[in-house]
Amino acid sequence: MRFSDKFGMAWSSLTKRKLRTFLTILGVMIGIASIVIMMGLGEGLKLQTMEMIEEYGGIRTVEVREGSGQNAGSNGGTAASGDATQYKLTDAALAEIEKIPHVESVYPVLEFQAEMEVGKYRYSIWGGKAMPLDVLKNMKWEFAGGAWPEEDDELQFVYGNLVLQDFQDSRGNNIYWNTGKLPDVDLMTARIYTIFDTESYYASKQKATDSGVTALTADGQMNNTAKPPTPPKKYQVPTAGVLAGDTGEYKEYSWGVYCDIEALKKMYKKAFKNKAIPGQPLRKNGKPYPELFYSSLMVIADDVANVETIQQEIGDMGYQTNSNSEWIRQTEQQSRSQQAMLGGIGAVSLLVAAIGIANTMMMSIYERTKEIGVMKVLGCGLFDIQQLFLVEAGLIGLFGGTAGLFVSVLICLIINKITGLATAMIPVWLYPVSIIFAVIVSMLAGYAPSKRAMSLSALDAIRSNG
Amino acid sequence: MGNPVITAEKVYKVYKLGEERLRALNGVSLSVGKGEFVAIVGTSGSGKSTLLNMLAGLDKPTKGAIVIGGQHIESMSEAELVKFRREHVGFIFQAYDLLPQLDAVENVALPLSFKGVSKRVRTKKAEQMLKQVGLEKYLKHRPNQMSGGQQQRVGIARALVVGPEIIFADEPTGNLDTKTTLEVLHILKDVVHNGGNTLIMVTHDNNLASFADRRIHIIDGEIVYED
Ligand SMILES: Nc1ncnc2c1ncn2[C@@H]1O[C@H](COP(=O)(O)OP(=O)(O)OP(=O)(O)O)[C@@H](O)[C@H]1O
Ligand SMILES: [Mg+2]
Repeated sequence: MRFSDKFGMAWSSLTKRKLRTFLTILGVMIGIASIVIMMGLGEGLKLQTMEMIEEYGGIRTVEVREGSGQNAGSNGGTAASGDATQYKLTDAALAEIEKIPHVESVYPVLEFQAEMEVGKYRYSIWGGKAMPLDVLKNMKWEFAGGAWPEEDDELQFVYGNLVLQDFQDSRGNNIYWNTGKLPDVDLMTARIYTIFDTESYYASKQKATDSGVTALTADGQMNNTAKPPTPPKKYQVPTAGVLAGDTGEYKEYSWGVYCDIEALKKMYKKAFKNKAIPGQPLRKNGKPYPELFYSSLMVIADDVANVETIQQEIGDMGYQTNSNSEWIRQTEQQSRSQQAMLGGIGAVSLLVAAIGIANTMMMSIYERTKEIGVMKVLGCGLFDIQQLFLVEAGLIGLFGGTAGLFVSVLICLIINKITGLATAMIPVWLYPVSIIFAVIVSMLAGYAPSKRAMSLSALDAIRSNG
Repeated sequence: MGNPVITAEKVYKVYKLGEERLRALNGVSLSVGKGEFVAIVGTSGSGKSTLLNMLAGLDKPTKGAIVIGGQHIESMSEAELVKFRREHVGFIFQAYDLLPQLDAVENVALPLSFKGVSKRVRTKKAEQMLKQVGLEKYLKHRPNQMSGGQQQRVGIARALVVGPEIIFADEPTGNLDTKTTLEVLHILKDVVHNGGNTLIMVTHDNNLASFADRRIHIIDGEIVYED
């Protein structure tokens, strides 16, 4: 028997009992739709999680901080004598970490503090971050005005969009919080004086206000001399740009001040000479180290899968490490189990639909016992009979699956419209797979009935009163 | 009589009903030649249908041999029997048993589709067959749009369309009135004779049996005489 003939017969028997066929297809449609919608929700959840992880500073990044050597493995166990720079973040450490397999790149971050005087206003930089210029440019942050400086020669600052909210008046009162108005300063054009040697700056201020009172100098020694210390030099640092964002719109950069790390290093040399830089560690004798230590090193792995091993290795070297990998793993696991649960709910409804198909086919076979018998007597092959019913079941699956897919795409669109987010995302591969799956499930459900039709006794069948 | 198309050799069929054994066929032997029209005649319960089903390969004898066209069908498997029927046997049912969702042409063409004949060829053949039984005006009619006599003529066309070596008919006019019965039997006889087909028909009516070339009388599962 030709396939086209089997198809035609299956088709005519489906169209003969339209209502029942429709109801069976409806069952499959609901089953497939619920699976696809649930998977779509799961996928949306996963994508949102990934996006969230991405926003939280990259999924391939390991943050390295100065270590105490506590976690150091056997190779890092050499005595950490007093002033050794071991476990501190030097250029040598950077080079060493760069050699670890699967490390794509490493860049240093230097956090800095400074005081600023802008006309009658004052501003304290606490979260200043200096990084290599190309890394900063790579962040693809949007500017409200200006841009990253072209070269790293001269120190220039880029301000976050909320920095102005931290400006204070000369008495140290926050202007924005007290008046609800931003200071009338255009960071792009204002003359901004920056004091890097904040300790001398505080000391001189203190002396100036209450002269004669014990104060702490940069050396950390008690200083009780009557003569006030000379205030440190102020540098006029030009503004390279201000980052985009409305008042109250928080972004990861909103409160920060950013600059190129090489330019800052040069500035430090000028501003401090041999004095201690605030935030930098001191030798045991209270003198500063000759070199500058980074606040952190950012290590980028070549693949998310390698983040954990890299982190482990750097930890073994004695540094402190930090990455999102543990959290990512947990989140992924969580979203996987949520997906499985959602998929399970869908699977149950498809199971019900499959039972519906089996039931429909069984009924159909009982009804057509005589017909099947006649066909057998007339010489219809046993496998042809079985295939007739499998094709019929497959057609139900095809229509149910297609309708189900259509419905779920529609419902996902509606869900996304309502939530205004990509809550439900049906992955493209699921389009063909869901239809194929529906056909397979339907044919499996139709298998037992088809087997029964095949093994019906022709004689009994023609004797029965159909 | 020439070479027989079908021979039955000491065919027994025993039904077990609890402890009792019922011999529905008790050693039946017969032989039917090519182009013959044979009637199996007997009262109700005499074993006519049982014999016909054995001969057509729809049921297996308890003992004995049945040979059609040189092939022993009593030892064939179900699948082999289906194939055998498809190629060598036509069947006419008492209740016509047309497929309700198919029209006359499609019903007649059905056995050809089992053989894998293309739709175009089998439709042409079916139309030709329907013309032979005088239904050229009813080609597109569904079974429920035709009278019993017309339906049985479709049934006859369906049995003949594959060009079978032998046609079996169990009370083909059992559901028809006297006038229609005669019409149908005339057509059956003509078509079979013109086509050179062999026909074995079961009936309990001696008058109808008289249409046949030869009558085999059966009582209690045994052939009592032929005429
Ligand atoms: N499957 C069966 N199981 C048990 N006994 C059966 C079976 N089929 C037929 N018989 C018995 O075999 C005998 C012959 O039955 P068969 O159907 O051949 O009669 P028949 O001559 O065709 O009668 P009718 O003219 O009424 O159709 C009957 O006594 C019947 O009861
Ligand atoms: Mg009978």
